[in-house]
Amino acid sequence: MDSRFTRRQVIGGSTRLGLALAVGLPLLQACGDDGASSSSGTNTEAIKDGLKPEAGPLRIFNYDSYVSPDIVSAFEAKYGVKVEITTFTTDDEAVTKLASGAVDVDLHHSASTTTLFKLVETGLVQPLNKTYLGNIGNVAASLRDPYYDKGAVYTVPYTVFSTGIGFRADKVDAASVSWDTLWDPQYKGVTSLLDDSREGLAAAMLRKGLTDVNSADPTIIKQAGDDLGELTNLMNIKVEIEGYHTVPEGSTTVAHVWSGDMLNAQYYLPEGTGAEVLAYWQPSPGTIANDTMCVLSKAKNPVLAHLFMNELLDTTNAQTNFGYVGYQPAVEGLGAQELIDAGLVPENLRSCVLTNDQITNGLRYLALSADVEALWNDAWSKFRAGT
Amino acid sequence: MANAAGAAPGGHRNGFWGFLSLPGVAWLLALFVVPFYAIAAVAFGRVDPILRTPDPVWSPWSWNFSAMNKVIDRVFGGDLGGVVVRTLSFVGASLALCCLIGYPVAYYAARHATRWRAVLLTALVMPFWISYLMRMLAWINLLQVDGYFNRVLGWLHLGGSRNWLDGDWSTVVIGLVYGYIPFFILPLYAALERLDIRLIEAGRDLGASPARVFRRVTLPLSVPGLLAASVITILPMFGDYYTNTFLSSGSPRTEMIGNQIERDLRGSSQSQTGASLVLILSAMLLVMMTYYLVVTVRAQRSVAT
Amino acid sequence: MRRHRPNRHPFGLAAITWLYVLWSLVPVLVAMRISFNSGKSRSAFQSPSLRWYFHDPLQSVWHDDSLRQPLRNSLKLAALSMLITTPIGVAMAIGLQRWRGRISKASNALMLIPLVTPEIVMGVALFLVFTQVYTGVPRGFTTQLLGHITFSISYVVVIVRGRLAAIGPQYEEAARDLGANRLQAMRLVLLPLLGPAIFASVMVVFAGSIDDFVISSFLSTGASSETVPMKIYSGGRATATPALNALATIMLMFTLTAVTLAALVMRRMRRRHGAGEDAQLGNLAVVG
Repeated sequence: MDSRFTRRQVIGGSTRLGLALAVGLPLLQACGDDGASSSSGTNTEAIKDGLKPEAGPLRIFNYDSYVSPDIVSAFEAKYGVKVEITTFTTDDEAVTKLASGAVDVDLHHSASTTTLFKLVETGLVQPLNKTYLGNIGNVAASLRDPYYDKGAVYTVPYTVFSTGIGFRADKVDAASVSWDTLWDPQYKGVTSLLDDSREGLAAAMLRKGLTDVNSADPTIIKQAGDDLGELTNLMNIKVEIEGYHTVPEGSTTVAHVWSGDMLNAQYYLPEGTGAEVLAYWQPSPGTIANDTMCVLSKAKNPVLAHLFMNELLDTTNAQTNFGYVGYQPAVEGLGAQELIDAGLVPENLRSCVLTNDQITNGLRYLALSADVEALWNDAWSKFRAGT
Repeated sequence: MANAAGAAPGGHRNGFWGFLSLPGVAWLLALFVVPFYAIAAVAFGRVDPILRTPDPVWSPWSWNFSAMNKVIDRVFGGDLGGVVVRTLSFVGASLALCCLIGYPVAYYAARHATRWRAVLLTALVMPFWISYLMRMLAWINLLQVDGYFNRVLGWLHLGGSRNWLDGDWSTVVIGLVYGYIPFFILPLYAALERLDIRLIEAGRDLGASPARVFRRVTLPLSVPGLLAASVITILPMFGDYYTNTFLSSGSPRTEMIGNQIERDLRGSSQSQTGASLVLILSAMLLVMMTYYLVVTVRAQRSVAT
Repeated sequence: MRRHRPNRHPFGLAAITWLYVLWSLVPVLVAMRISFNSGKSRSAFQSPSLRWYFHDPLQSVWHDDSLRQPLRNSLKLAALSMLITTPIGVAMAIGLQRWRGRISKASNALMLIPLVTPEIVMGVALFLVFTQVYTGVPRGFTTQLLGHITFSISYVVVIVRGRLAAIGPQYEEAARDLGANRLQAMRLVLLPLLGPAIFASVMVVFAGSIDDFVISSFLSTGASSETVPMKIYSGGRATATPALNALATIMLMFTLTAVTLAALVMRRMRRRHGAGEDAQLGNLAVVG
């Protein structure tokens, strides 16, 4: 059963939507509350210490196939409760549904860091009580006090990934790979760009050495859009999130991808082709992003929700889960070497797994104000229009 | 007979028939009229400042047209202009091909097919019953770089290593023709079948050559059928987004209006832009939609008489 | 209907026509053949097997839940659409045929509009209404079902009205003269006469629902509400194995069985009641 595939479709959508959706905090403070989110609840408190687990069922909100069924059934057995998973396709959809009350769940399993502030500011999530999170010490050092949630008040990080270029080591000289490779007519017709406005434009910016991937400068944003426009005829560029299978299958040689994609790519290699044909170029500086878990304010089973997060922080469980979802867990001690030793990451794809330093020093996508977001969207639309 | 059909049994109890129609009418009001109005309410509404979700405004007096104006600017002279032109050319080219292929087929089926008529009709109807995406999938299989299509080209020494699926406009146009031509042929067939054969015979009897009879009699007589067939074919083509995405890996070179709409609504948080585009598209298609409705209502009446 | 027999057979036209038929059907046959491929390739046929239907323990339609689930969803949607749409549509057809007045005319126009509305417009409309207005309706399967019924009602009405017009009121009048009340006349006389049309509409609703991509996709919430066309769309561009072709082939078999049944039933009915085959072709054209 091909879980990775669905997750990959999903993550493309999610990041694409989530990132594009983001609005800036400054704007938030400037604008009044427009009524849609009147339950301003920053005063929501964490649950008390020492409560017994509820009778369940624990209701989880997550992307499809983005948590290992083995972990879920082990949790069900351990606490004698049922777990119900409601799925969403995009982060956009998740935020909208949570805000409108269209879903009633306990645990948001995969919130995007760029839209997290919406959940916090509208009081949709509650502060965590860390006494229920015995494994909290296992969180990767770089994400113990994350930039998107200072003091880790509301969230536990779930998975971490970078954005770079996946390519065929048998057709491309690894030493020559850079952002310019996406603009190299040698690979015309066999190159793809992520279908994601933030990622696509950021690639064009980084290529020019501009590292402000949250730029508000109209000239820079427009220029990035124009640079992408060159790809249309120069490269016959494909705009999609399918690199995780088109690269191993051979129809794409150079693909703009997320790091987890190349780890999954090994499952899509035709018989007789070894993982050594796959390679991943991690740009430096490059962008790093992660998904996070949080408990809803209206949770009926907050204790179970905490306990579930705790299960995923267990090193063994995290490793099991990695084997299923293919995205690197934000758990300490599951770095490249450990995962290679466990046979989960081939040596040549080591760069797909991030170190704490990389996570700490990576570029970050931040929420954009509405005006800036409009500039990004316009530049992207213009590129997509192919005119 | 028209009268009899009208004065149906119990005609004096008109309310009963209204009551019978009620569930259907109510359903369409709730799930067709209200939703369509919702498009306008979103296009002319507000956007939630935090969540960036649409905040529809239902009262036309409070509508705000700034999003719509921006989209109109983009269509006339902005980046969307190119997309609109491309959509029109794709649809135009596809329609032209539909006519070139579809007319002879419909004409032959209606006028000349004899022994194999039943088989032919079945074959013409068949594509309706095969899922549209299955038919597109079939082409994906054929058009792979190592697929049968390239192999045939190879045997014929016409190349055979081309990637047809990376944003080739000809692939998309042929895909559209393949997908929608059954919608063209059947209505045209039905119209050609009803042509008054005596007029054609009269033309022949008066000494006109077959080509001249075709040009001066058959073709003019089939114009209404051609129009109806064209409308019913291109209406869905204008809203199509999946054919070209499916056949071109999302290449910007084949982007159509439908792609923009789909992306605005589901791929990013620009519901207002997407909703405005839908309204513009509907306005563009309104003439054609009305034409088809009038034709259908007339046909209904003529069946009733 | 009597047809004029031309003296000369136009071989050019015949050639174009049969070439078209080949072009329209052969790719589908190739796709079906690939579903029986023993290997993983979707572009080259190796040797025949049922691997992608049953045998493959992980990736066959039978064993892979990510393929079985869309199949279940599609069949459930189609079955429920049939059950709910048909009575609503038949009642509406009878009502509209006889109801007089301005509201009736307006209702008739309203009923026809969905037939000419591009799917993307209806998809967007339903998407927005379910995310913004009817937020209480659980998204996913339920909204998809409501959407399918919405675009199916008009088909049923148009098909049934065509038949109603052909039947005329005289049978029912005769029944009334013989003492039946209106409901009895409808149940005992009209509905049986409408039989073939109702059956045809049921099949058309089934096929329309099975084939729908745009509405299902706009109203879907992810894997749990994925349908077969959606699966073909996402899988066809992606990494699918011939199991995807197998899934499409299975779906096609369902539709063809339904259509063949419909054709057989209608042929029997036609013999009894003498409705023209042209009217039915007209129906099919409208459905398209």
